[in-house]
Amino acid sequence: MPGFRLGPLRPTLLRTGRGLRFAAISVVIAVFAVGCKTPGDAAAAATQLSATASMLTGYYAALDTLLSETDQLYQIQAAINPVAPYDTQTKNYVTDTAAEIEKREKVAAALTTLAQEFAKLSGSTASTDASTAAGNLESAVAGLKLSSVSMSASNVNLMKDAVDLIVKAAQEHKERETADSIDKFTAALDTWFKSEEPYYNSIGATYANLTQSLALALIAQGQVDPSSFLAAVFSPYGLTPQITDPALKSKVQAVMIAQVDQKSAALATAQQNATTSMEKSLTEMASRIHLVATDKPMAIRAAPITLAQVQSWISLVPQIAPAAASAQSSSAGTTKSN
Amino acid sequence: MQEALQQLEATYFTLQGQINMLSTACKTQEQRDALSTQYVKARANYWACVNKAFHDDDPQVASLTTKVGAANQELTQAVRQMGDIATTIKNITSVVTLGSQLAKMVISL
Repeated sequence: MPGFRLGPLRPTLLRTGRGLRFAAISVVIAVFAVGCKTPGDAAAAATQLSATASMLTGYYAALDTLLSETDQLYQIQAAINPVAPYDTQTKNYVTDTAAEIEKREKVAAALTTLAQEFAKLSGSTASTDASTAAGNLESAVAGLKLSSVSMSASNVNLMKDAVDLIVKAAQEHKERETADSIDKFTAALDTWFKSEEPYYNSIGATYANLTQSLALALIAQGQVDPSSFLAAVFSPYGLTPQITDPALKSKVQAVMIAQVDQKSAALATAQQNATTSMEKSLTEMASRIHLVATDKPMAIRAAPITLAQVQSWISLVPQIAPAAASAQSSSAGTTKSN
Repeated sequence: MQEALQQLEATYFTLQGQINMLSTACKTQEQRDALSTQYVKARANYWACVNKAFHDDDPQVASLTTKVGAANQELTQAVRQMGDIATTIKNITSVVTLGSQLAKMVISL
């Protein structure tokens, strides 16, 4: 049998929770190895799972950035227009939504770490890091289930059940059941993401709608300096524009309004495309894990190509929302380590 | 997206997109206060449901969703035409009141 070999599990380890997780990881690697038609399939599957989960982490972090920015935009709007105050109830809803997205980010991060540990293993035993990573994934998924504002509770339960099955199957040395559980987990993750996709897109659309509304209001009030807008004309000559003619200002404003409308639509579309690409990547990943778990060869070794499109949007977010992205980056250590 | 949330989003987005123009159109403080109250309610209705689910098979949810959908069409028309601001605020109040009833039916876990 090519691939990894599972060493004997010590009875004392199996009697403890840590031992169970240790056993789970060992069996996982063994099962991936059992299912592989080539020695590299297990490692390739783990690497691909890691890349996909890592991108999912980045996707949620970017959504979280948009929510932080939305919170700030509501405060700005309240200062500009007294008819649109930022009430405590709405602020709490926005905060709760951000907290839910952060929980999903933690699940994705825990899955990334676990997959990285799978990819590193090449011998007959699992590292304690892998054991810890499995425990962290269990905790992160359990956190979703306990949420008071949980989205798609039934799908969260499917993932929780799959994680529980991995541990249980390992305790009973049922390698095939463990493979099925991993397969079920990635499938449940995919289904869960699909069920929440409209909510993610709504968050992106809200951000685009709000920035557009504020930008148009400020342009209409003549509170936008068109100098940077005209930079394309004057920068080659080192000149700075100074528009004093009201008629010309009005014409430039009309062009700026059209640009804001166009870019707002592009912002929402870019986020929706990233969501679609992320969903496709998760589906592709789940199908590859299914191949490995059902003793079929995994022909494609590269990460899902749609991940590049997700990365493109993730890279864009710090540019469109630099303040929130910077604030989150500085507090990332606290958030991510929980 | 579930139809119910989609309609609450439509109400909120319409008001968010036009809030500055509507504010400017208000002639009295009373109108501004009324507009402010309805805008805040519409936004809260949307955010209250953005990460929750509805029972799509509940006839009450279906009925209210249809009513909010129809009211949204009237709202869009009223805002686009921007005739009498007092009438427009009545239209807004009507759709937001229905939206509040719908938002109350969201599943709380």
